[in-house]
Amino acid sequence: MDNFPVVGQRIPKRDAPQKVTGSAIYIQDLKIPGMLYGKILYSKYPHARILAIDTSRAEQLPGVKAVITGYNIPPFKFGFFKDNPPLKSGKVLSMRDEVAAVAATSPEIAEEALEMIQVEYEELPGIFDPIQAMQEGAPILHEGLKSNVLKLPWRLICGDVDTAKKESHCIVEDTFSTQWVTHCCLGTSGCVASFDINNNLTMYSNTQIPYLAQRDYIDALNVFGIKNRKVRVIQCIIGGGFGSKLDTYAYEYIAILLALKTRKPVKVLFTREEEFIATSPRQSTITKISHGCTKEGKLLFREMEMILDNGAYTSWGATTPSVMMMPISSLYKVPNVKYIAKCVYTNNTYSQAMRGYGNPQATFAIESSLDQLAEKMGMDSYELRLINANEPGEITPQNFKVTSCGMKECIEEVAKRIDWKGKRGKDKGRGVGMASLIHVGGGARVYKSDGCGTIIKIDDYGKVDVFTGASEIGQGSETVIAQIVAEVLGVNVEDVNVINNDTDVCPWDVGVHASRTTFVAGNSALGAAKKIKEQILEIASKSIGEAPEHLDIQKGLIFSTKDKEKNTPLGKVLRNAHYSTGGKMLMAEYFYDPANENFDKDFKGNLSVSYAYGTHGVEVEVDRDTGRVTILKYIAAHDVGRAINPMMLEGQIYGGGLMGIGYALSENMNFREGRLMNPNFLDYKMLTAKDVPPVEPVIVETNDKDGPFGAKGIGEPGLVPTAPAIANAIYDAVGIRIKDLPITPEKILKALKEKEKRGQSGEEGK
Amino acid sequence: MRGYEYYKPGTIEEAIRLMTSLEDAQYIAGGTDVLVLLRQKKIKPGHIISLRNIKDLAFIAHHNGLHIGSGTTHAEIERNEIIRRNYSALHDATSNLGSVQIRNVATIGGNICNAAPSADTACPLLVLDAGVTIAGLEGERKIPVDEFFLGPGKTVLRKGDILKEFVMPLFGPTTGSSYIKHTRRQAMDLPIIGVATRITISIGKNGGELRCRDILCTIEDVSNLLARFEDEELRCEDIRIAMGVVAPIPMRAKEAEAALKGKIISEKLFEEIGEIAANEAAPRDSVRGEAWYRREMIKVLVKRSILRSIDRIIRPDDMVYPERLW
Ligand SMILES: Cc1cc2nc3c(=O)[nH]c(=O)nc-3n(C[C@H](O)[C@H](O)[C@H](O)COP(=O)(O)OP(=O)(O)OC[C@H]3O[C@@H](n4cnc5c(N)ncnc54)[C@H](O)[C@@H]3O)c2cc1C
Repeated sequence: MDNFPVVGQRIPKRDAPQKVTGSAIYIQDLKIPGMLYGKILYSKYPHARILAIDTSRAEQLPGVKAVITGYNIPPFKFGFFKDNPPLKSGKVLSMRDEVAAVAATSPEIAEEALEMIQVEYEELPGIFDPIQAMQEGAPILHEGLKSNVLKLPWRLICGDVDTAKKESHCIVEDTFSTQWVTHCCLGTSGCVASFDINNNLTMYSNTQIPYLAQRDYIDALNVFGIKNRKVRVIQCIIGGGFGSKLDTYAYEYIAILLALKTRKPVKVLFTREEEFIATSPRQSTITKISHGCTKEGKLLFREMEMILDNGAYTSWGATTPSVMMMPISSLYKVPNVKYIAKCVYTNNTYSQAMRGYGNPQATFAIESSLDQLAEKMGMDSYELRLINANEPGEITPQNFKVTSCGMKECIEEVAKRIDWKGKRGKDKGRGVGMASLIHVGGGARVYKSDGCGTIIKIDDYGKVDVFTGASEIGQGSETVIAQIVAEVLGVNVEDVNVINNDTDVCPWDVGVHASRTTFVAGNSALGAAKKIKEQILEIASKSIGEAPEHLDIQKGLIFSTKDKEKNTPLGKVLRNAHYSTGGKMLMAEYFYDPANENFDKDFKGNLSVSYAYGTHGVEVEVDRDTGRVTILKYIAAHDVGRAINPMMLEGQIYGGGLMGIGYALSENMNFREGRLMNPNFLDYKMLTAKDVPPVEPVIVETNDKDGPFGAKGIGEPGLVPTAPAIANAIYDAVGIRIKDLPITPEKILKALKEKEKRGQSGEEGK
Repeated sequence: MRGYEYYKPGTIEEAIRLMTSLEDAQYIAGGTDVLVLLRQKKIKPGHIISLRNIKDLAFIAHHNGLHIGSGTTHAEIERNEIIRRNYSALHDATSNLGSVQIRNVATIGGNICNAAPSADTACPLLVLDAGVTIAGLEGERKIPVDEFFLGPGKTVLRKGDILKEFVMPLFGPTTGSSYIKHTRRQAMDLPIIGVATRITISIGKNGGELRCRDILCTIEDVSNLLARFEDEELRCEDIRIAMGVVAPIPMRAKEAEAALKGKIISEKLFEEIGEIAANEAAPRDSVRGEAWYRREMIKVLVKRSILRSIDRIIRPDDMVYPERLW
């Protein structure tokens, strides 16, 4: 592959200095003149009827400017199913249900006012287990529905699983389950809603979907009776997203309602406890899976049935099965696939997108089951994976057209670096395991558009302003976009300024999701940069006296590629461009929408223009007396097309890996009857810097033909195969398989003791 | 949150006087427990009296044993070389408490006065036979730390009382101690269970010299190690075992201590002691851990902690312990 001066370089993340010195302005820091503070009162019960709300005492507290409840706001529901009112009336369906809200001159007064609001409830029996919720006679959560099962037809059929079952030489079947986990953004959620004199709304927000949020707010304003007004979304610096900000939340509509009522800007800012309780996490799942293969170990079929706890309302969590279909149909070559998923309403918190969008849950079942299959076959699971690995040029059963694919390389790199042959099945108490992943790497057409716009202008001194629709949520898009533009224009990366936080200024983008930003926004920036470069060279051609095709730019100097002596500084050309008669202002725009496809009605279609692959290998040690797992070595090989910035890419791999290790071993939203028992970092065991094992990222470059400079997405993949890789390594170490995340010391010790009682009787005691 | 008045007295007497004259006042040292309680609205003091300005509360002194002022931070204790060698259990506790940031401000006095069943320094102080000096309106009194705790968050302190210092006796070269904190994370975590031990040993054979010293540097199986100890007649002359998060207050496992004292170490005896200690404890199910698991961990950690304490007697200069063994 070619080497470039800017692309491929380890350039430090450009927002890092601001963040570490404390000069970055987060929503926490934002103050607007006259601003009031909004606070929300949540339900006392997971399921109850509201009999009465008395807000009179709160209203009289000095400093309180407005109190609203579900009984005095316009009827409005938001979310994917439009089943969620910002403030509830009639019934509450979960502990996080918003019952009333206050705007006051200080957060303390607002909080005091909340304590004065009296709500009378009649408690109703709750359902917290999706299996119970599906049973006949279970109370129905949402009025007007006949069942707690959401009307979503998640069903993927490829080939003929029944016949494949008959033809299979070896079949394994088991059930796996995963827990609720949450994003743990260090910047808690918040917004400021502010109306101008003409009722145009400005939302200062943390969203990772500014243009879709804009539309949500416009819809809400229409219902609130404010029609045909302008909504502007301005993002402060965002302290992490991970999918949590992929939808709009009740608190945002509450801020809007309070701002409307008080005619003042209103800020709602979550405390850490609220962040745990009232943002929407990754849901729990129960998965029945079976795999079958030929005598040689070629996969013949994969069948999965899944139940997802949707929680009380519907956000994007309910659509994660669409992404789960990707590994289910296309992780390894498997010709016959059947997948059915049900999302079920319960009185728990409601689920949302989270890094990987369902992929980690599905991959945990798939990759654990594959190890079981290998064992039953008497095969090395590494061999089984290699035999079935995806390859370039393949068309998968779901009609994905695989272009670049470095899966085999990833598997081999991992085996080599973890010393698979030397360690697998050897040392008692120590073990190695691996697991692979597929993810969208070239955007994902989940909406009608998968596009992103870019505008570039260059000032008189050769400094470049890039206006992009793509949001920076900490993942590093600013830096990557600046690198791509600098590379094309031949300027220093420091001379490229990226503006990405204002819908009034920046062009449209569908949002930060599906690991799409480097690929889609990168291609968009690339297109705009090429366009403006053409314009520059066109103008320079006259003054330098050389045809544009023989001109290039490096370090801000335009020169003839035939004779480097013929040159002129970029800034001079730009100044001349508009100081001369019939002048021209240099500006270019470009909209990139990848050539991927929406699923058809059978959920088939080429979702992404390219796919990302990877394999993780882990060496663990299990303390047989305490059940504690120590990760001794962690290899994370990722096919990323090309690393635009290897340093930031490694950052994504470290971060994803650690998030995945937390998912595998320690993180768990502990709900007891719908109530979160651990809404804090003491008891929600997100891992700390001291828990980071030695992670070794391996970057496999396959130079994707559609990616900007060959790059594919890497935002999510880092945590996808972590849990099954660890579970497989634990099995190798001590011969027990934990099928229920997280794999806590308690579960391991219990299983070890049971195994001891049973005597040595092989895999899963069969 | 209501506002409060903040005071910074310079002497113990002044602090006591202030405290006894005010209605709803609260002492604060490092504030790492107090501020959490304030935010959770579990306390709503109208007056906060800081002890940070009282010089007499922050010191480490070595005369007739060890004296640690209640206002000493965990970081200061962690860095003290004499404490690391001779009061190792306390070093273990203070060097794994919270995080660097917490250890730099949080005090040992605050840890004990807060009286959480999970307080990390409690078990080490119990096994190191610490006494506490309390200053009150009527002067000073001294009690063993065993008598200090009454229940979760409850101590013998009366209104106005200030815990002044901890005093620990001198221990000779045949005594070693350790504390094991069993957590899910490597930092910022409270123990699921904590076990401290202190042991004094003698060797019956080979003129009192332990021949199997080198085996400690290996990752030899524990049962082999114990068999060698038994061969060479390694005897437990004195023993303290303390356990945290197994009862409303940090507690001694006195029956287990009695079962071990005066005996030659063996694998069988070790198993018994673990069982006895586990039976003395009354752990509960909680969000942080299940009772059965806590009970199992007592058995494991009592053994490991004693081994570690013995190791420290035998290899006082070794910083590297084969962690996998104990
Ligand atoms: C993030 C975090 C992590 C933590 N991790 C741990 C951990 O791993 N292990 C652990 O054991 N604890 C931990 N803690 C709890 C806390 O840090 C310790 O208990 C600490 O030692 C308390 O000391 P302090 O000086 O901050 O006490 P403060 O909060 O100032 O006071 C605690 C209590 O003691 C009283 N008090 C303080 N000094 C005196 C005195 N001289 N006389 C009379 N009363 C007094 C105060 O009135 C108050 O009631 C953690 C806390 C936080 C916030």
